Amino acid sequence: MTDILRSWIGSALPDWLIVLIAYLLVTTIVLFYAVGNFIMMVWAERRVVARMQDRLGPNRVGPAGLLQPIADAVKMFTKEDIVPRNADRWVHLLAPIVALAPVAMMLAVIPWGRGWEPIDLNVALLYMVAVSAVSGVGLMMAGWGSNNKFALLGAMRAVAQLVSYEIPAVTALLTVVILAGGMSLLDLPYMQAGVPIMGATILCGDPAGCSPLLYSTITSFPGSPSEPVQALDLGLGWWVFTPVGLLGFLVFFIAALAEGERTPFDIPEADSEIVAGYMTEYSGMKFATFYIAQYILNFALSALAATAFLGGWQGPGVAALANMGGPWVHVAAALSAFYLLAKIWILFFVMIWLRGAFPRLRVDQLMDFAWKLLLPLALVNIMSASLVVGLTQWTSAQWGGLVNLDGFAPWQRQLIAVLVTAVINIAATYWILSINQRPKQVEWDEEELVVAP
Amino acid sequence: MNTLITILFLIFAALILTSAIMTVTVKNIVHAALWLISSFFGVGALYLLMEAEFLGVAQVLIYVGAVSILILFAIMLTRDLEGSQNRQLTPRWWIALIVPAALFGLLIVPTVMTHDWRLPPPPPAGQPPAISGAQQIGTAFMREYFLPFEVAAILLTVAMIGAIVVAFEERERRRRVLTLAERVRLRQRQQQRQQPAPRPEPAATAVQTSEATGGET
Repeated sequence: MTDILRSWIGSALPDWLIVLIAYLLVTTIVLFYAVGNFIMMVWAERRVVARMQDRLGPNRVGPAGLLQPIADAVKMFTKEDIVPRNADRWVHLLAPIVALAPVAMMLAVIPWGRGWEPIDLNVALLYMVAVSAVSGVGLMMAGWGSNNKFALLGAMRAVAQLVSYEIPAVTALLTVVILAGGMSLLDLPYMQAGVPIMGATILCGDPAGCSPLLYSTITSFPGSPSEPVQALDLGLGWWVFTPVGLLGFLVFFIAALAEGERTPFDIPEADSEIVAGYMTEYSGMKFATFYIAQYILNFALSALAATAFLGGWQGPGVAALANMGGPWVHVAAALSAFYLLAKIWILFFVMIWLRGAFPRLRVDQLMDFAWKLLLPLALVNIMSASLVVGLTQWTSAQWGGLVNLDGFAPWQRQLIAVLVTAVINIAATYWILSINQRPKQVEWDEEELVVAP
Repeated sequence: MNTLITILFLIFAALILTSAIMTVTVKNIVHAALWLISSFFGVGALYLLMEAEFLGVAQVLIYVGAVSILILFAIMLTRDLEGSQNRQLTPRWWIALIVPAALFGLLIVPTVMTHDWRLPPPPPAGQPPAISGAQQIGTAFMREYFLPFEVAAILLTVAMIGAIVVAFEERERRRRVLTLAERVRLRQRQQQRQQPAPRPEPAATAVQTSEATGGET
């Protein structure tokens, strides 16, 4: 963006102003993109859940109720803003802002398409996690500032859930860090080129005979030497197709559900128990701000899951279009942006689906689920990821002569790694699940029953 | 560019100092915690200004995302909300000011006097700076500073086990909270049993230990 602006108006304005304008433009575009998606998400959620529950959902405003979110927005704008008399006025006012701002900041590092990357940050994965943790402070402020017991309870639950589910989420993301050898989000889609399971390891034997439509130049992928190679590339080498990626994706997606307070984990705002949780005392635009923050958090977490495990903008045809050069590069970028958006929406649809299917967990079930199931699985997965890196990239000298795979071709090493980690992951999953089997329902003997005072 | 960085540094420094002073002077303890968070943010921004992205992000993750949330938790769980308007400054605050100032001076004066302030030369273009990268920090932890790293890990594990030992409630001694259905069923069974041989004293409906019922049956 900066370069485009420089070429247009570079002579008229000083350079720092151009950089500033470029950043402002990109920020505006990304924010509008997210908010536009938020509007569609609200509509989609209401319609889809209604369909699953054999209702109609909003269908009066506009075709199929599509304009309903706009009507809602107008209602929110015109509603009276009520602040409880004994509330802490400033904390009450700042809480929605502190909840929304970090969530919006998460959008800055996601590669939205091939070449459409707002910021290149080399610790982007850690940044996403850190920034999403900040919104917990906003929830805490909302709960305390409202001076309401339900709000405080909801904030406590929300923050406890956020903090404990961050650990499986981060541990699952560590697999990606190990596989990619870095924390930058921009490299991840490039690394997930190739074909399912095998990744970009099927190399072109004869450079002249490889069609540029099927083969593309890969500069970096897990297990590759540093020099670029020609590899079979259908844009489907997503990590979710390997055993390590699949387990990591499942753990991360479940943890993301909990962080985004989606339904099996919507304890913080359980309507039937504590009114609306930390949002109880908010109305009008402040309430809408919380609402937006929640949906954009879900959007960003879906984007992160898609980028980290589902290939991000990678998809069939992107590399081929980009190889054709000229204006086709822009078509490739648009197609890649469409792929990422489609993946985000599929993940969001799964979220809605879960909401239609599952009841709410109890608090102790929530904690058991995080600490006894997700965290051990994620830890095993880290070991598997390290094995993948060792089996596909290390020379026998690095293994200390223990394992010698130097003579094998990249695809053979990849196959060995996939088989080994599949055995480990399936065995570990089966074992951990069997440990966590619900104990047989103990018929409580009357003599053991002690009524709490 | 340098003037811009200086201006930004001054802004962040002012933010950190203001927040820190507010933290120790403000009366409401939750407000103090919130000011502390703002101060942590300023420090993270300073790290970013030094292009130490990993440190900056880790500062936000650990101090804002974890430590201050724990502080807020502790405040909200231990104090009742009405009693949070306590004085932060005692009458002898000036002693508390002098002692840390003297200690800090003891620490900083020899450093300022003897430290060699020549800055290292900037890295050649295109190369990352020496300490900011996560990779370098990871390598340093696993090579040069392996022993301190492991000792810290063991210390944290010990602290965690200690916390579990303190807070753990043994399953046998835990009182189970009955659901309403269970309570009704319990009462019905007791009434059924007591009908053939009614006892003179009122039945222990609320709390009964296993010994008592054991003797009865």
